[in-house]
Amino acid sequence: MIPTHRAQINRITADARIDTSRAINFFFNGKRYQGYLGDTLASALLANGVNVVGRSFKYSRPRGIVSHGAEEPNAIVQINTGKLTIPNLKATQVELYEGLKANSVNGWPNVEFDLMSIFGWFRRMMPPGFYYKTFMSPAKFWMVYERFIRKAAGLGRSPMQFDPDSYDKLNQHTDILVVGAGPSGMLAAREAARTGARVIIVDEQNEFGGSLLASTQTIDGIKASSWVKNLMAELTKNKNVLMLPRSTAFGFYDHNFVAVIERRTDHLGDSASGLCRERIHRVRAKQVILATGALERPLVFAHNDIPGVMLASSVSNYLIRYGVAPGNRLLLFTTNDNAYQTAIDWYQSGREVVAIVDSRRNLSGAMYEAARKLGIEVKSGHAVIEAEGGKRVCSARVASLSRQGNKIDGLVEKLDCDLIACSGGWSPTIHLSSHTGSKPVWNESISGFVSGSSREDLLLVGACNGEYSLTGCLANGAEIGCRAAESIGYQISAIETPRFQVDELEELPQQTIFLVPHDKGISRAPSSFVDMQLDVTADSIEIAVREGFESIEHIKRYTALGFGTDQGKLSNVNGIGILAQMLGKSISEIGTTVFRPAYTPTTFGAIAGRDVGALFDPERLTAIHRWHEENGAKFEDVGQWKRPWFYPRASESMEEAVHRECIAVRNGVGILDASTLGKIDIKGPDAAEFLSRVYTNSFLTLARGKCRYGVMLKEDGMIFDDGVCACLGPNHYLMFTTTGGAAQVLAWLELWRQTEWPELRVYCTSVTDHWGTVTLSGPDSRRVLEAVCAGIDLDNDSFPFMEWRDAIIAGVDARIFRISFTGELSFEINMPAHHARHIWEALMDSGEPYDITPYGTETMHVLRAEKGFMIVGQDTDGSMTPYDMGLGWVVNKSKEFSFLGKRSLDRSHMLRKDRKQFIGLKTIEGSKMLPEGGQLIFDPEEQIPMSMQGHVTSSYYSPSFGHPIALGVIKGGFSRMGQIVYCPQPNGEIISAEIVNSVFYDGDGARQNV
Amino acid sequence: MMVMGRVKMCNDIKTESPLAYFHDTASRNSSVSTDKNASLGADSRVVAREQYICSHLNLRGDAQDPVFVEGISKILGMSLPIKPGHYHCVIGENSLMKQSLYWLGPDEWLLISRQLAEGLCTNLRETLDAHISITDVSGGQTLVNLSGDNEAIQIVLKKSSVYDFGVWESASESGGRCAQTTFGKTSALVSNKSNGSYDLLVRRSFADYFALWLLDAGREFGISILGPHPE
Amino acid sequence: MLLVYCPYCEEAREEEEFTYGGEAHIKRPLSPHTLTDEEWGDYLYFRKNPRGLHHEMWFHNAGCRRYFCATRDTVTYKILETYKIGGPPKSPSIPAGADG
Repeated sequence: MIPTHRAQINRITADARIDTSRAINFFFNGKRYQGYLGDTLASALLANGVNVVGRSFKYSRPRGIVSHGAEEPNAIVQINTGKLTIPNLKATQVELYEGLKANSVNGWPNVEFDLMSIFGWFRRMMPPGFYYKTFMSPAKFWMVYERFIRKAAGLGRSPMQFDPDSYDKLNQHTDILVVGAGPSGMLAAREAARTGARVIIVDEQNEFGGSLLASTQTIDGIKASSWVKNLMAELTKNKNVLMLPRSTAFGFYDHNFVAVIERRTDHLGDSASGLCRERIHRVRAKQVILATGALERPLVFAHNDIPGVMLASSVSNYLIRYGVAPGNRLLLFTTNDNAYQTAIDWYQSGREVVAIVDSRRNLSGAMYEAARKLGIEVKSGHAVIEAEGGKRVCSARVASLSRQGNKIDGLVEKLDCDLIACSGGWSPTIHLSSHTGSKPVWNESISGFVSGSSREDLLLVGACNGEYSLTGCLANGAEIGCRAAESIGYQISAIETPRFQVDELEELPQQTIFLVPHDKGISRAPSSFVDMQLDVTADSIEIAVREGFESIEHIKRYTALGFGTDQGKLSNVNGIGILAQMLGKSISEIGTTVFRPAYTPTTFGAIAGRDVGALFDPERLTAIHRWHEENGAKFEDVGQWKRPWFYPRASESMEEAVHRECIAVRNGVGILDASTLGKIDIKGPDAAEFLSRVYTNSFLTLARGKCRYGVMLKEDGMIFDDGVCACLGPNHYLMFTTTGGAAQVLAWLELWRQTEWPELRVYCTSVTDHWGTVTLSGPDSRRVLEAVCAGIDLDNDSFPFMEWRDAIIAGVDARIFRISFTGELSFEINMPAHHARHIWEALMDSGEPYDITPYGTETMHVLRAEKGFMIVGQDTDGSMTPYDMGLGWVVNKSKEFSFLGKRSLDRSHMLRKDRKQFIGLKTIEGSKMLPEGGQLIFDPEEQIPMSMQGHVTSSYYSPSFGHPIALGVIKGGFSRMGQIVYCPQPNGEIISAEIVNSVFYDGDGARQNV
Repeated sequence: MMVMGRVKMCNDIKTESPLAYFHDTASRNSSVSTDKNASLGADSRVVAREQYICSHLNLRGDAQDPVFVEGISKILGMSLPIKPGHYHCVIGENSLMKQSLYWLGPDEWLLISRQLAEGLCTNLRETLDAHISITDVSGGQTLVNLSGDNEAIQIVLKKSSVYDFGVWESASESGGRCAQTTFGKTSALVSNKSNGSYDLLVRRSFADYFALWLLDAGREFGISILGPHPE
Repeated sequence: MLLVYCPYCEEAREEEEFTYGGEAHIKRPLSPHTLTDEEWGDYLYFRKNPRGLHHEMWFHNAGCRRYFCATRDTVTYKILETYKIGGPPKSPSIPAGADG
């Protein structure tokens, strides 16, 4: 057992929201510590006096915890190990659980002693654009450079094993979604829910309450935390309200669609095994209320990145919410009244407040008086111009500021302290509204960007709308909650909007300072960090400006400002302000960069949800699928269908099995599951006319009992599907489509039926799933069928080729079609799918004397290729007309109504003699196989790039002929019979082949006609 | 008629429903795998039960045509649901569903009936002298009833479908709401029933995917898939 | 993720249930053979792609399987109206809703 490293030296167990009776052991960078239930990793580390939590990205400077939430730039950790490891979490958002193992993502060999920090000493040798400039040439060396750069940079390591956790998604629909459960969000939710509206309220933290969780204020005479508790109780009771803590709204998409990720198990540690780890709520809301609060803005001064410099509100949060005092001697540096509360909180915790350093002159007002009353020294018109210390602040250099705050105009004094809390004002958290395309607008009076108008139905409330007083937030929340419900049709009661009594002091205007001046010039002063995660300093922005960059979007990309996993939550506004100052422009003129989803990093696991493994894509199975499985079939994917590919016996290879199956069909009988063929039932007085318009040939003359092969074209004249269509009765047809084309064909028929020809009285209904289809093929097929078929004569005279009959097979009503895709005598049998296996097994039994052989799609492909039957999508590619495919006989141009695609067949390009045409290919060297997709050329001596004249579309070894055969398309192919073409291979070999007729086998079709 | 395991034999004719191979399958919260023949139903908060093989007829016609509308109500003894997203039904003896008629589109309905498809088709075709279409699709789909604890059912539905079932009014003995919508990566016709359960109609070729999806979505509630109640 | 009101189902449904059907109100020439190759080519291949209001077809693939029309602003993605096939749009096709 590793001994607990240190005691919780900074823990003050005041009235905090942690359970000090529940100690929790955890590990950080291999050392063991203890915290309490309710702690975050950050609060527990601070409680244990851990100063350095990571090393900076570029200069490897030691870094400490700055904030207490999603904005944290420094305390980035990797938790767990092996397949459960999660990189790049913010320690401020990781809830503590027993046995938690966390490590800093940067720092080698460790964060206390980091060899890479040598870069920090040479900061001026790594200006912005350092990588671009240094590793620019020679270009081919980039691969070498990249390896080193990646090693030096990088945040965390991705897991290398399969993620064992499960994730899912819920589709939520609600009237009102409230994002953020601080005072304004909770009140908005309550008021909206009181009208009867459905409400979902989400908050990224483990507890609802927002700023009130760290407040010492009272509302209506009750402590803030108790007020939250009462409100929670009311919301919990309301069945219309769904409350989701630990849930981050990370993206705002079109039509009020908000993606929320709920972290369900991370805080439970090992005890959560088996539960879904994260759940994405895909929320569609009629109204969205953003109550996302505001983020405090740090002040940019020299060495402001030394551990011990924190946000003022974060100091208060650790103190009040977690019972942790992250230091002993506090120096507060502020430009506003609001941060005075931190000094007051600190003082009341019994620790020393060294001074309040306030940039403003002539201070007055309630907050100032309150601090003075406690005896706290306030240095007005002063600034902390530099923090001093190594791995922890030990003192601050403080100087008097000019009125504008841009120059030092007095002596510098040194104040000893170990904690500098700073506040440069607040920035409303408007990321989600920005996702909707709304442009942030600079509001001078609050010195922050607020949301501009949005195309979505969203309302902003409280601090994210620039309302910083608690009284204001509560009133605003209640009002907006009512208004949101009213706007979507709910009645609001006549009761007047609630008023709240809050013990709150009035605050005076703040001063806006983006860059604190130093007694040395910007380029000679120690670094002032704007973006701590990516080590962007104020002087690097200055260098970028000097090099000619002006647009904030360009500055961002050149310096990497705001590019980190924190998306610059703390740095963007300061960066924009500093740029404006350097260019002498206003903030509005500079504008902002665009915030995009996700608000905080989201796991790939959650985005994938359940669409993994067997559920990734539906597998469509035929009603006979289990029989194929039980009989050892190998399967092939055809669209979403699983089709038997071949049925190997014992130790047969694929080639051997296909060979055997082919020979069986040619000489005996084979059986194929063809249930996947698309089937569309077409009925109505105008059905024949409708078919004649969508097929290239006419169906007006097709009599009941007969079948006809048809080809369908898109309007551009190109083949898009083919198949047989049978006339089942007066005004009644059954259309077969290809397996892959079924859905598109039906949508295509509906398109024309519904939009262009509504006058045609015809209905189309998919019956693909209703009918199982079993094909018997081969010279013995009639004998096999006869044994189980009742009711009809199967001889060629009574039941000729291209006709169909009703029959009873093995006691079941079925329909038999005499159509053939193999060129042999064939019977295609349709039966209601729940009897498909019954009939299949009956045919297997009656076929036993003939050694009936189940065959799969590979054999089917070989046999049809021998016959030169094309497969749409394999031998055609969307640029082939029926004429190109040698199917001119199926085009009937004398039809009265112009069929779809007819006009295109007469376009000048279609009449060219050098169009690619469908031909057979026989290799000269008999045993050579042409590869499918291989390009064909006429002149093997031609210089590269050669002119490609066509390509191979199908290629198989033909057991019937004992040599390979291939199909392909080649320019002017029909007039090139007997010519030689060449197929160059990647290895330099050139295969030569003769152009032959595409029909290799039984050219006059005698065998299917018996 | 005798029931032999998953396969129903009638005069030696084997009949397999689309979910036949999933009857008596349960998924347990504690285990990641799916247990076949584990103790069923005991701790299930949701049960999916495949219904009998019934006649499923796709009806097409003009909702404005009185011959069609009145003919349907005369033959079936129930009116054609003209309102989008509604179905009508007749409950027979033993409170078993005798027949239901679902709105699928402005000129399309689905009739599910315990009468034989062939007779029903002939009867409808001969009686309705109008431009209509009646297509037997019985073999191509199956009806699955999802019952159990309402909260759990709602979560299973929310996982599976993008539709907002929360806006539906409760169903009555004579009908309720229905919607064709997505179900995982396939689609389903979902309808609510007066006892608080839901019927899901899925296509045969997607039945295996549907079953795997359902077992996964209902795992946290220990879902079971069962065959039809013995008659 | 758009929310599309299906005029046949009379409900707003999620985009996943639909497929996009391209520009609406394209008249198929009644006598294609009287057209020149160029005129036929215009019908086949040329579409508007405006910045602003666009009349387009949608297919309620996972729902009622009907085609219908929508007037959508291609800048804001707002759908101003949906209407049945054959019905005229209420909104003009001139870009109007574009906000910049």
